[in-house]
Amino acid sequence: MSDTKNEWGLLVPIIPFLLVVPYLKFLAGWESVEAAFLIVVVPLLTFPVILVLGQLYNGNETWKNRYKEGGIFGLGALALALSIAIWIIYDYIVGSAHFEAHSVVDPFSWLTFDVIEQSGTQWEVSTGFADIGVGVWIDSVTLMLLFVATFLCFLICWFSLGYMNTDKINEDSNHRFYGEFVLFAIGMFGMVLADNFLWLFIFWEIMGLCSYLLIGFYYWKESAAYAAKKAFLTTRVGDVFLMVGLLILYDIYGSLEFAVIFEDPSTGVGGALVDSGELFWALLMLFIGAVGKSAQFPLHVWLPDAMEGPTPVSALIHAATMVNAGLYLVVRMVPFVDVHVNGVAGLENFALIVAWIGGITAFMAAAIAFVQNDIKKVLAYSTMSQLAYIFTGLGAGLLFLNIGEHHAGYFVIGASMFHLFNHAMAKGMLFMASGSVIHEVHHAHDHVRELSEKYSTNEGDDHGDFDPQDMRIMGGLAARMPVTATAMMFGSMSIIGIPLIGGFWSKEGIIAETWKACLAEEPLMFVPALLVLATAGMTGFYMTRMWLMTFAGPPKSEVVGHVHEATPWIKEPLIVLSIITAIGGFALALFGAAEYLGDPEYDHLSFHGILDTLEHAFLPEDINLRLVGWTTILIAMVIGPVMASRIHGGRLIDGVEASPLVSWLVNLSSRFGSQDVSELADSQLAEALRRRLYFDDLYEMTLAKTAVPLAELSAWFDKNIIDGVIKQIESNSSTGSLQVRRITTGSARDYILMAAVGMLSIFALVWGVSA
Amino acid sequence: MGGERLIDDPLSVITLVPLAMGLILMILPRVLPNSSAERLIQVSRNISMGVALAIATITTMLFLGQLGSIDWTNITQGGYVLQNEAVDLIPAIGVTWKVGADALSFPMIWLTAILIPISMLVEWDAKRAHLFFPLLLIMEGALLGVFVALDLFVFYVFWELTLIPMFLLILLWGGEDRRYAAMKFFIYTFTASVFMLIGILVMYFHTEAIAGLGSLSGHHFDLIAMTAQENLIPNEGLRHFVWLLLLIGFATKMPSVPVHTWLPDAHVQAPTAGSMLLAGVMLKMGAYGFLRISVTVFPESTIEFVPLLIFLGMVSLVYGAWVCMGQTNLKRMVAYSSVSHMGLIFLGIATMQPLGIAGALFMMFAHGIISPLLFAVAGAFKHHYHTLEIGSMRGIAHHSPWLAAHMMLGWMASLGLPLLAGFVAEIAILIAFWMTYGWLVLLPALTLIVTAAYYLNSMQRTIFESNDSEHGILPDTLHGEDPSDLTWHENAGMLTLAAMTVLFGIMPFIFWDMMSDWSSGFVIDTMIEAMQAQEWSP
Repeated sequence: MSDTKNEWGLLVPIIPFLLVVPYLKFLAGWESVEAAFLIVVVPLLTFPVILVLGQLYNGNETWKNRYKEGGIFGLGALALALSIAIWIIYDYIVGSAHFEAHSVVDPFSWLTFDVIEQSGTQWEVSTGFADIGVGVWIDSVTLMLLFVATFLCFLICWFSLGYMNTDKINEDSNHRFYGEFVLFAIGMFGMVLADNFLWLFIFWEIMGLCSYLLIGFYYWKESAAYAAKKAFLTTRVGDVFLMVGLLILYDIYGSLEFAVIFEDPSTGVGGALVDSGELFWALLMLFIGAVGKSAQFPLHVWLPDAMEGPTPVSALIHAATMVNAGLYLVVRMVPFVDVHVNGVAGLENFALIVAWIGGITAFMAAAIAFVQNDIKKVLAYSTMSQLAYIFTGLGAGLLFLNIGEHHAGYFVIGASMFHLFNHAMAKGMLFMASGSVIHEVHHAHDHVRELSEKYSTNEGDDHGDFDPQDMRIMGGLAARMPVTATAMMFGSMSIIGIPLIGGFWSKEGIIAETWKACLAEEPLMFVPALLVLATAGMTGFYMTRMWLMTFAGPPKSEVVGHVHEATPWIKEPLIVLSIITAIGGFALALFGAAEYLGDPEYDHLSFHGILDTLEHAFLPEDINLRLVGWTTILIAMVIGPVMASRIHGGRLIDGVEASPLVSWLVNLSSRFGSQDVSELADSQLAEALRRRLYFDDLYEMTLAKTAVPLAELSAWFDKNIIDGVIKQIESNSSTGSLQVRRITTGSARDYILMAAVGMLSIFALVWGVSA
Repeated sequence: MGGERLIDDPLSVITLVPLAMGLILMILPRVLPNSSAERLIQVSRNISMGVALAIATITTMLFLGQLGSIDWTNITQGGYVLQNEAVDLIPAIGVTWKVGADALSFPMIWLTAILIPISMLVEWDAKRAHLFFPLLLIMEGALLGVFVALDLFVFYVFWELTLIPMFLLILLWGGEDRRYAAMKFFIYTFTASVFMLIGILVMYFHTEAIAGLGSLSGHHFDLIAMTAQENLIPNEGLRHFVWLLLLIGFATKMPSVPVHTWLPDAHVQAPTAGSMLLAGVMLKMGAYGFLRISVTVFPESTIEFVPLLIFLGMVSLVYGAWVCMGQTNLKRMVAYSSVSHMGLIFLGIATMQPLGIAGALFMMFAHGIISPLLFAVAGAFKHHYHTLEIGSMRGIAHHSPWLAAHMMLGWMASLGLPLLAGFVAEIAILIAFWMTYGWLVLLPALTLIVTAAYYLNSMQRTIFESNDSEHGILPDTLHGEDPSDLTWHENAGMLTLAAMTVLFGIMPFIFWDMMSDWSSGFVIDTMIEAMQAQEWSP
């Protein structure tokens, strides 16, 4: 504990970063939106500084202890970004700044060019095509994501100061971590703020790079290197299609700027009416990109492997921010389909595809999460599943909007965005909490080993087959890690959707509206609607299972007894996020966050009143929705958790105490009796789930059977056929003519002479022919 | 040479000075008495570097407008800046010394002027430095000559002249199999350019006499006049034939499949500086010549042969990428990746959109800064680990963090990561390609996945995964030596290239604006007319 106290002094260098906003506002007289570009530019200047200083001062004591190998600089830059984001949000919500147009900063022209067009038989320069520029775009969705990104980047950077810098294995390479971390922040902030699809894509790719670099942070680990490559290539598949989508969009609208396209998505370049068929393909291509980035079926295989990265990376990139990029892209498609304002009708099929992909992924990921024993893998599948919820919600929303039900459409889009917020907060925290567990278990294991092998001088990272992420060696940690256990409890509740806590408010909206779409509008929505409903119960099961395996019951290994919650910098983010998860969702729901995020005409957050909000959530007018809502609550809150408790529940060992709420839950879990599931665990189905339903095997086998032989064949063909012909000509001419052989002396002078003579003779020849 | 004269004709100066200095530095030690020859040999390297830096400075000042105050945008098609007063060289056949630059050639000129000192720096510790560095100067003069010459005879002479220093670089400083590679390189490209020469000569004999130029034959090699002459070769069949002859020369240089196999051999054997220049500038001569002569003078034939261009471009791009996948030698892989990327240039031109052509021009430039970085990295592997076999070493990021960092950046730039130079060209060409050919764009787009795959594979099997945080797996070729990181001069050279890659990725408009203007002017003035005449539509 004393460690923590001493280290507060290290935060002094970030004070100047925090003074920037007051300076700009009160002394320089800037508008908040004018400072928006700093959110990207400041980290952009910071990350090379961290990398270069890290390389120069590597191993230096001051650099290591005082600046945390660059972590303090990263924290400062992120603090500045967060403060500007809060400034903009304050202005926007209070309404003191006037955001009449969403494109608040004049786009800066990046690439200028002409386009020629065929009209009849004539080709002429088209006037409809715009240059490609970049500017800042701000609306309610931007602000929400901007807050999520800046806030979580800041908190997770803070967390990393404790997590990364106290681990020997990272020593002297943490500057690489913080440099790449800040570079990632640039990508995320830039993507959220960009005012056109191309720059969205550019920053999107920057995030992909950082994801690759950070998954492969432990570059010497074979599994990490493989996972990094897999993540990059899988998302690359999506990105290439996304790029094709951009090409089509540009061709239709003659611009990629939101302001130009959203002005009137039904008319394309030169006033032509937009064909819904072409637009369908454009949106579908963009959606494939989103599927890759957000790890949805069938491009989902990279996310679980991505857990090879350090835990803060999993928390930030692979749970809370980057994976939301796909959702953000889909939300940006709303104006295309919104027939209430200038949208293009006839895109219901696209909406259905989005919802189906979401439904399938939600169910599949939840099922796979049932059998995971690695605490981070459970969370990874949970992330996949929750993101899929949001996709389903967005699909339902796009469907409503495309058939003219804009009130329902806006509401479910808003609910989905609200779920994004709740999920990011909860999942960021869950990963940090899991990191806290892993970190302490790891240290405890080191401690245990030191005790048992006092005479051994062998240091290093030789852990044998000990895996600090395996929940089967944990259990009973509730008593040893009170803050972490509480944080993880709130996080799990939010993900499960326990009434009144975070995720409940948004998830309920998604499920109810999906059913509404199914019942009232489109029978094909039945499958996604059914799948997300079932997934709600499954979520209740696997999240409870994870929590119980980790924190409840008797300790499953001797390591547990040595765990202490002592690392500095780790608790504060958990506490902050616990509060937000526990009451933030409710508070925002009271102010109509879902309506605000979904409806472009809904200007300000306004207080709905507690009773109204509760009634809206629990007693909706439509009897069907009431039924769906209560079914959800029943299976998510009761059936799932109770089944998990029967398998994994259990009291702590006697004599240890946990905090009251946590111990109440632990004791509750032991009251449902116990169930032996070993038979089920040995079944074929469980094996298939353990093998991730064979998707990875299938992809790998396909690649090994097609790409690898094709590459080898190409190389062989080039060497033996194409070059072989050349070699054949060469040897024929040299054996055939002794003369030729004699003059290929290899002396440069001879060749020059030959060249000169050759040239002259050709000259003479052509002259003769032409004359 | 006085300051005024320099401003009058800077292009001649930057072309001829390095040539002259290179020759002097090579010849002088042989004629001088021993003691002064010794001394000259010792400073030869520094003098060469000085000259190269001076040329780079002049070129940069030309660009920034501090010298000659030129507005690089809006140079009309056929109008060149920095033109000199033509000097008769061989009046009898109408050869003149005529130089000029426009937005097509200037980025190449600047690229050459910058790359020479960088490649000198990277190979600062070359053996036989008193020959190596002057040879690079001669190389610089020859390359610049190709880009500034507006007389096809002079153009051809410089074109062939570039072969000699490169031939010697490979022959004298190359790897184990250098003799074969040098020979193959020379004969292959020389043979190809003979076809080009025939084409040029046919063009020559179709020119009309220009008043005041008293050539005996009544013909001339003046490119501007050829371009201006209506219907240079009236016979359509002959025109197409000439176009194809030129294409053989240019496509071999680029190189395009199926005439590319000289490239990997030459690259693998060439010294690092040689590879850097070969990939960075020499390959661009092909694309440059194609645009400057074939497309400009014969737009109708170009339109006629658009399907051929698409075919060559697609095959180079797609097939090149798959061949890359199958390589086990790092430098060979990088060499094939050049083949693959050059395919995009043909595709960009084939779009017949200003955007696509500007993209092709930017590709020439971007590849010109990225590929030298790739070859510098490959060269450093050879230098420090004595092998180029992918997979013979693992986890070397631990021993050579700078090398690993440059590899990461270069590889990422080459696979088209946004905010690095290559992406701009790629996206521009793809947008234009979609506009003209629609779904056919899927082929180049999907190839980007293959590109990413081979680059990532090669990184995974060199800088990653040793399964030991304290040691990498070192190749046998190191024979137990301690592995080392980049030397200061390698690092400085690579850092410059890396900085340029980032700079032009974030701010492509530095060169993009003039390229885009040139392409618009070119398409509007030249291509549209031909497209209408041929009633072309995609």
